[in-house]
Amino acid sequence: MATEGTVRRWRAWYSRLLRLYPRPFRERFGEGMEQTFRDLCREHGNGGRGLFALALRVFCETLAGIVKERAMQLSQMGRTVLRVALGALAALMVPLVASQVVEGWNWPPEAFLRVYVLFFLTGMLFALVSRRMAVWQYKAGVGVALAAGFALGWSNMVHVAGTGNLANLWYYSVLAVGAGGALLSRLKARGLSRTLFVMAALLVLISVLVPSGAPPDMARRMAIGHGVNAGLFIAAGFLFRRAALAEPNRAPSQ
Amino acid sequence: MAKQSTVQAPLTPAVLHILLALSTGGRHGYGIMKQVQADSQGRVRMGPGTLYGSLARMMEAGLIRESGKRVDPEMDDERRIYYELTSAGRAALVAELRRYRSVVAVAEGRLAHGH
Repeated sequence: MATEGTVRRWRAWYSRLLRLYPRPFRERFGEGMEQTFRDLCREHGNGGRGLFALALRVFCETLAGIVKERAMQLSQMGRTVLRVALGALAALMVPLVASQVVEGWNWPPEAFLRVYVLFFLTGMLFALVSRRMAVWQYKAGVGVALAAGFALGWSNMVHVAGTGNLANLWYYSVLAVGAGGALLSRLKARGLSRTLFVMAALLVLISVLVPSGAPPDMARRMAIGHGVNAGLFIAAGFLFRRAALAEPNRAPSQ
Repeated sequence: MAKQSTVQAPLTPAVLHILLALSTGGRHGYGIMKQVQADSQGRVRMGPGTLYGSLARMMEAGLIRESGKRVDPEMDDERRIYYELTSAGRAALVAELRRYRSVVAVAEGRLAHGH
């Protein structure tokens, strides 16, 4: 018959084995699996049987489950990468077609490559971050925030290249705050909501304080663009706030 | 929103047994295992890896859902996570049993006529 110490030791080993599952699976089912293993140990112990045969069978069976879950995770990731790569290619068609029809739009091939990489990275960020919560408000918030961030980064890059005004690099601090806030909040909805509001406030502050160096007509257009961007950051902030209220007690799923 | 395409008919033996085990009410993981063992007269012994892998797929497909944590009065005072059938899960079970019945009817008809 198994002693209490033996049972505890097997349970500790089983708990370690469960760490090999993909994290989302472990977070969702790890506790239940440990409980079930404990119940099985108890049942065998009450029957006066040793635990070695049971543990060997359950460990092998669980290991097969881990391999299966890992394989599924890899295959899902492969499908996501393919979908995003194709989506980025479709998005690239816009500047590609525009360069053929718009007068003076003469990008070198490497510019298209850079844009494709940017589209792809933004798409992958959306795919990876948006799956962390099941509620639509979170996914929509991620989409709006990334689209607004992409637009800000892109327009600013074009503007700096066009005017040579390095003061506009200050706008990248908005994106840096966004990246920092996302890391600090560990992508939780409440923290992201605050981050987006701070980004909106910072964008407004910079656009008021930093001289654009552009002619008045262009400066007006830039101000409108920054206003729209700040509005999008605020909208994303409210979406994250709604997401936090919709699923207050649930850990991020996938 | 649950994805309805993850678990499709014909259901795997594990999924069918879990649906059957939950057809009379919510159960926790160990409870499902014991019920599957009883339903199959000890022929099916599901381990935690198969059980929870199937539960994950079934939850994703909207066939079952978690019904919260509670104490099982027949066991100890530890709170366990319970699972229960959804209406989609019950419909899938009914459809699968109907499919089995039609297969059995065809097989019996053939055997009766000596084909």
